[in-house]
Order: sequence, then structure tokens, then C-alpha cells
Amino acid sequence: MFYDLSNFLGSLHPLVVHLPIGFVLLTMIFEFSANSKNTIQNRMISLGWLFTFISSLIASLFGWFLGDNGYYFESQIDIHRWSGILFVVICFLVWVYKSSNLPPNTFLSRFRNVIVITLLTVTGHYGGSMTHGEDYLTENLPEIIKEKLGDDYEEISTISSRSIDSLFVYEDLIHPFLEDKCMVCHNDENTSGGLNMTVFELLVKGGENETGITKRNAYKSSIFNRVVMSQRNEKFMPPTGIPLSFDQTKILEWWIEEGAKLEQPITSFREDAKIQKLLLHLYEVDIREKPFLETLVLEDLSENDLIYLENENFEFRFLSNKNTVLDLKFIGEDITKENLKSLDKIKEHVVWLSIIDSNLSDDEMAYLPNLKNLTRLKIQKNFISNKGVPYLEGLDNLSELNLYGTRITDASFEVFSKMKGLKKVFLWKTQVTKKGVAQFAAQYPNIEVMVGY
Amino acid sequence: MNCNHDHSDKNYSRRDFLTKTSLGLGALSLGSLMSPTDAYGSSNFLNLLDSNKQKLPHFAPKAKRVIYLFQSGAPSQLDLFDYKPKLNEMFGQEVPKSIIGEQRLTGMSAGQNSFPMAGSLFNFKQHGNSGAWMSDLMPHTAKIVDELCFIKSMHTDAINHDPAMTLIQTGSQLPGRPSIGSWLSYGLGSDNKNLPEFVVLITKGETGQPLYSKLWGNGFLPSEHQGVQFRAGKDAVLYLENPPGVSANVREEQLKYLNKLQQIQHADIGDPEILARMSQYEMAFRMQTSVPEVMDLSDEPEYIFDLYGKDSKTPGTFAANCLMARKLAEKDVKFIQLYHQGWDMHSTLPKSIRNKSREVDQATAGLIKDLKQRGLLEDTLVVWGGEFGRTNYSQGLLKPDDYGRDHHPRCFTIFMAGAGIKKGITLGATDEFGYNITERPVHVHDFQATLMHLLGIDHEKLTFKFQGRRYRLTDVSGNVVNEILS
Ligand code: HEC
Repeated sequence: MFYDLSNFLGSLHPLVVHLPIGFVLLTMIFEFSANSKNTIQNRMISLGWLFTFISSLIASLFGWFLGDNGYYFESQIDIHRWSGILFVVICFLVWVYKSSNLPPNTFLSRFRNVIVITLLTVTGHYGGSMTHGEDYLTENLPEIIKEKLGDDYEEISTISSRSIDSLFVYEDLIHPFLEDKCMVCHNDENTSGGLNMTVFELLVKGGENETGITKRNAYKSSIFNRVVMSQRNEKFMPPTGIPLSFDQTKILEWWIEEGAKLEQPITSFREDAKIQKLLLHLYEVDIREKPFLETLVLEDLSENDLIYLENENFEFRFLSNKNTVLDLKFIGEDITKENLKSLDKIKEHVVWLSIIDSNLSDDEMAYLPNLKNLTRLKIQKNFISNKGVPYLEGLDNLSELNLYGTRITDASFEVFSKMKGLKKVFLWKTQVTKKGVAQFAAQYPNIEVMVGY
Repeated sequence: MNCNHDHSDKNYSRRDFLTKTSLGLGALSLGSLMSPTDAYGSSNFLNLLDSNKQKLPHFAPKAKRVIYLFQSGAPSQLDLFDYKPKLNEMFGQEVPKSIIGEQRLTGMSAGQNSFPMAGSLFNFKQHGNSGAWMSDLMPHTAKIVDELCFIKSMHTDAINHDPAMTLIQTGSQLPGRPSIGSWLSYGLGSDNKNLPEFVVLITKGETGQPLYSKLWGNGFLPSEHQGVQFRAGKDAVLYLENPPGVSANVREEQLKYLNKLQQIQHADIGDPEILARMSQYEMAFRMQTSVPEVMDLSDEPEYIFDLYGKDSKTPGTFAANCLMARKLAEKDVKFIQLYHQGWDMHSTLPKSIRNKSREVDQATAGLIKDLKQRGLLEDTLVVWGGEFGRTNYSQGLLKPDDYGRDHHPRCFTIFMAGAGIKKGITLGATDEFGYNITERPVHVHDFQATLMHLLGIDHEKLTFKFQGRRYRLTDVSGNVVNEILS
């Protein structure tokens, strides 16, 4: 009974608080313009302070009830609560002073006014922040002024600058927003509802009444259930402040449905197009599998390197908007060792390479194994035989190899089978046999062999 | 465009000055376009013309070149690819009102009293492992459907040939915009010092809807980016030969001096068109040897001619042009545009389409196979299609064995193959009457955005400022069709 009544009175607090504010301001204006010898005026003023005192006493009593229901952040309540109480005390003292017939003291009353106004502002501001949110004052400012103030209320996520392979769903995505929105009330000291969310195991366990997380069942997990129920429901979490965003609840749901593992890496969401979009949108994290090219981190090539390449009869083209990865094409008639040696300087930068119909010999192939990042190699129509092919064995990233119009035979299949990244090999117009191809295809179905129509 | 004669003591014409200094936003847009190469050129607008160096891509490309087999006049999707048994079932009945709705028809059939549905006379079957539907009109192509990606839900804005072709080739129905090949040449530059980046091959002796050079025009881009038409016969490129009595040496000498004069002129007034002109002179000179070489098919073995079909031995046929396209692709020409006219079949469609399909079928399949065995299909995109579709009702009298079909912009089919495209898939669908799209519409601009994407270009970023606004191939729309990307 008392609990219900106090709850009701507590909810009247935001209404009642405006009364003492009005009284105190009016009284101070009177006092300012009053003639100190006029007794009637003096009585009015001391009456004003009395009203202020009484109304603020009621307001703070109601406020105490409201603060007691546990739905506000202790840290915010503290300042609001004690500055409010100080205000009540000061009003009382002023009233006592005014109603005794002590002589007025201008200095004292000025000093007192400053303190009263300061307390009023502080109390009012913290009260306002609790009901309307932290930035209730600035949020509707014209944009220009906001910019001048420095718009620092926008949370900047730092995870977008990290390598996606090092990110974990709970630690990097979920924990930060739970910390932000829930842990003020659910921590080691303040375990509202018996729930401590700062320790992962306790978070999973839950509070006094409900299970925190039921693996693979979001709606049986109070952590999730409480944030997606109707906001009018008194169990809705967080009880005050800004609720979780749609995206945040989605991530929470996905993670729980995936088994709520502490060590779940972000990249395990790769298959899910929806969550990919969401992460991109929310954190600017792109978890899509990157083409090999984009994963390469290389130094920019200098103008000199490129001029040098051109002098060695290589035509180049960048394969991204950075001056790093190269598509190289030999445009001379007859390639030499010197031409090939020039590749050494940029060996990591060459990703595609064409040396077509340029008299590339088996021996000259010896320069190719250095080009570790090659993914596409076109060396068709050259005098290459089985002797040259083994040089390619260590090119783990090579996925496309064009050897059509060379003199290789079935013996080279052995080398192809050892090339880790190989997906396609072009062997039209070589000396490989139908039987050899069929055997290889049966053994290595993931490598496509093209021998012509 | 650049009239500098009355400013001979100034380095820039008024217009050049305005567009190139910070006053002109054009300078900014070019600047952003070329930032990757800033390190390699002393001047931004010289860079613009120096197409040897890389300015783009915005991201790693899948395709290095495109062969676009344009079927001018609009092939009937309902007789080739888009199988609609319902039309045969209801042969001769009126198209339901609810299907046509308030949509506009062309003046050629809008006045008809009756719109009888015409089911295709040709047999449809599913082919390959992918089970793609095709009629028996293109048996060779049907054999390679597992290499192809069909889009059955293409649609366009224009209902007549000229605007529709201009739209699909330049991104706008109005003439004057650069064509796809010109944008690519402008954006990506050249991979080949001896041949133009953008070559046009037109089947010889075909009639039908006219082909205007605006379709391969450079619009407002510098003129070296226009498509160069290679013709069958002895003068492959017009006016490329030296005039009678002028030897190659004399020609070279001449060009050297001309070049010097133009250098002076350029240093004086700085008009970029001078550089364009110079580079074209030089290109023309190199083409005097490179073009006859590439046009010469005598080195091709017999089995290659067999692959493309016997027409391929006759210069100027679609088949010979396909073979030529492969040779140009081997030489790293970036955009190879073929045109084959005569698909505009308003009447006697069944008879005409048989011939037309025969002209293109084996060569199309042959080209794709040939590219594949050489490994070229890995980095070459092949596109086959027209400017719009054809109606499901007969234009003119419907007979049991004869009908015509009018223009139909609301759905048509194209197919693609090669670099970066999923194999053996069909995207989109039309309703059971083959009239409206029911699944995944793909607008012409979406197609263009996808094509650019495959070449490593963000279609929204490749822009050119002209007459006060920035233009791009896809105008103000277009979304990459991610579903078909491999
Ligand atoms: C302002 C303080 C406050 C904040 C912030 C807050 N809670 Fe609570 N929470 C409480 C109080 C008080 C209770 C106990 C009363 C109740 O069960 O509603 C509670 C109870 C719970 C319970 C039920 C525990 C049990 O087993 O009874 C869960 C679950 C919960 N909160 C989750 C959350 C989540 C998730 C967030 C963040 C989105 C959150 N809370 C934020 C105050 C808060």
C-alpha cells in the first residue's frame, strides 16, 4: 500500500518541482525592487521564502520516492538529490532570517542569491538530464552552433580501424553497448534485480528471477527479451534513458541464436547478408570476404620504379585506386633475363602477369617464383616444357595459369596438383593427353582444366 | 569548342580558364578522378589526355575488356529465350486488359482493334546442367548455356529504336552523350599502344534500323575516345592510308614537324584538344601497320573458321566480325562493339527470325568457346542483346503460322558471359503472358552500372563536367546487379 502510494507521489515529482522554482524567482524579484523599510513588503518577502521552502520540501520528498524505485542511475541521482536538499535547507534558513527582525545585509543577500540560483540550475539540469536524456539542452540547437561547440556527442566506434579477423562479437560489438546502456545499474555494487552484467558468467546466469541467456533461444533470454518488449511494459530495459537501437537488438539476437559464445569471431557472420549490411551501417565494418588483392598491404610504387618497368618493356596498369598492385604485360618481342630481373624490385606488387608469345624459356621461368602474390599468370604461346613448370610450384596464391600453346605434357599435372591456390589451368594446344586430363580432373575436381573444344 | 584565336596571347581560352582553375568545379571533379596519378603528371589536364597511365580503377576489376554483340532492331525474346506456353495455349485470344493496363503502345499497333496473343512457333527446351530455356532457333548457343547468364527482366524507357539504342549505348535517349566505350576509354585509358581502345565492327550489307555514329561517339569527352569503325574490305579504317605518292618515310617526317608546330601551339594557348589531335595523328600512323595486321584472317587455321561457322570466311559477316573481335581482344582492345542489324520484325517474324538467328548463332557460340579455350573469357565480358523486346500480341493479322511483333520496352532478354559473371544462371522473370516483369527488374542503367563495375569503375564516380553539370553514363540512376556477379 505504502509502496503504491509512494510510487504515485514519486511520479508527481516532475510536476511539483516547478512550484518552488516559480516562488523563489518571484520572491527574489520582489526583494530586489522592494524598499527595505516597508514592513508590508518585508512580510510579503518572508512569506515568499516560506512558500518556497514548503513547496520545495514537498517536491524533494516526492523526488525521494521517485529515486527509490531503482529506475535511475545512482550517479545522476546523487547530485540532483543532494543539491535539491541543500536548496530546501537554504530556503528554510532564509525564511528564519527574514522573519526574525534582524537588519538586512545587502552583501549577504547577494551572496545568498548566487548560491540559490546555482543550486537551482544544478538541480534542475540533473533532473532534466534524467528525464529527457543527457543532451536534451543541446540537441535542438541550430546546426551551426552545434558545430561550433564541437559535436562530440556522437559516439565514434574505433573498431572499424582494426583488422576484422581480430574482432569478437561479444567483446567488440555487444559488450560496449551493454556497458553503455545497462551496466550503470547492473554492476558489482549495484546489482538491480540481482543481475550483474559486468561478469560474463553472471550475465549468462541472469538475476534473481530470470535466466540471463538461454543459448540459441533469444526470447528465453531475459537480456534480450527485456530490451525488445513493449516500451510501456514496466519491465522494459533500460527503464530510463535511450533504449537499444534496432540494430543492436538484432546483433544481440543473432549472437544468442548462434550459441552466445564469448569467443565468437565477427567473421563467422560472413554468410549472413543482412548482418553484413548491419555491421557496415552501424560500425563501418565490412566483414565480407575480401578479394585477395584488397588484403595486400604494400608500399606505394615510386615513379622511378614504374619508369624502370616501362624501359624494360613492361606495360603496367594498377588494379586498385592505390598505386600498389599491378597488372603487368610484357610488350616486347623477345623477353630477356634482364627484363625479368627488373621484376625483382616490385616482386610483391605484381598480381597479374602476362608474358604471351615472347619466347619465354624454361630457364627464364626461374625468375617467376619470387612473385609470391601472383594470382593470374598468362605465359601461353612460349617455348615452355615440363622443365619450366616446377618453378611455379611455390606460387600459393596463383589461381589462374595459362599455358596454352606450350610444349608441356601430362608430367606437369604432378606440379599442378601441388599448387595450393590453383583453380584454373589452360592447356589447349599442348601435348597433354585426353587420358591425363581425365585422370587429373577425377583426382582434383576443384581445378578446372581447359583443353579446347 | 575551344575558340582561342582572339586570345592568342593568353594561355587559356576564357572557357578553359573557367573550367580549369578553382573557379570551375570541373577542375575539382577531374582532380578527384585523377588523384591516383597525380604523382605522375605535372598537370592535371595533361593527365586527362595521357591515357597511358592509370587513373582508375576505383577497385579491382574483374574484366579487362568487353565484347558487346549488339543485336540492332530488338530480337524477339518470346521466340528465342523467354518461354511462355500460356501464349500457345491461348493462341489468338485477346491479351487480357489487366495485363496491358494503361501502358503506351507504339503508333504502329496502338490503332489495332484486336491484340491477339501469339505463342511462339518455335520449340523450347531446357538446356545444359543449368536448365536454361532456349528455342531451337539458336542450337549452337543452346549448347553453351552453362557458360551464360541470362537476364530476362531487362526493361527500358524508350519505345522506338533510335532513342532506345541511344539509351542503352550512351545512357540517355537524347543524342550527344558519350557511349559506353568512350567512357571506358576515357576512364581506363589504353592497354594497347597500336590500336584504339574502342573499335566498332558492323555487319556489312545489312538493312534495318539505321546505325548512326553517335552510338559510338565521344559526346563531350575528348575526341580521341570515340569508337573507331573497322570496315570489311580493303580500306579497313577510312583515310588511314597515305595519299598516293606519299611514302611512309615522308609521312613520318611530316608528322614530326607537325608535332613540333602543335607543341608550340599548345604551349601558347594550352587547349587540350591540340593534344587530342596530336595523339590521334600518332595513333593513326601506328595503325597503318597494326590495323591491316589484325584485319588479316589468313593465319587462322581451318578449325577456327569451323568453330565460328562458314560465314566467318566472308569478310564483313557477323561471324567474321566475331572472329575479328577475338583477335582484337587478344590485342587488348578495351571495348569491341559489334552491330548486327535486321531484328526489327513487325511482320513475317517466323520466317525472318530463322535467318537472322542463323546469322548470329554459331558465331556467338564460337566466339565464346574460342575465348574460353584461350583463357580470354577469364577477363573478357561478352554481352549479347538488343535495345528492347517485342510484344506478346501479333502486330497485324495473326495466322496459325505467321505473326509479327511490335516494340516492347517493358521486358526483354539479354545474356552475358565471361569475366566476373556467374555462369549458368537466369535472373529475373516475366509474367505468364511475357508482358510485364514479375521478378527482379533490371533497367538499362542497372546493366550499364554492372558493366562498369566489372571493369573496376564505380559508375557514380566516373563523371565529366560539361555545360555546367556533371554527367555520367548512368545519368542519375543505376544500381549494380550484384546477383549476377561471381
Ligand atoms: C536505470 C537502471 C537500470 C538500467 C540502465 C538497466 N536496468 Fe535492468 N533492472 C533495473 C532494475 C531496477 C531491475 C529490477 C526490477 C525489474 O526486474 O524490473 C532490473 C532488472 C533487470 C533484469 C531482470 C533480472 C531478474 O532476473 O530479475 C534484466 C534481465 C535486466 N534488468 C536487463 C537489463 C538490460 C539488458 C539493460 C540494458 C539494456 C538494463 N537492464 C538496464 C535497472 C536498470
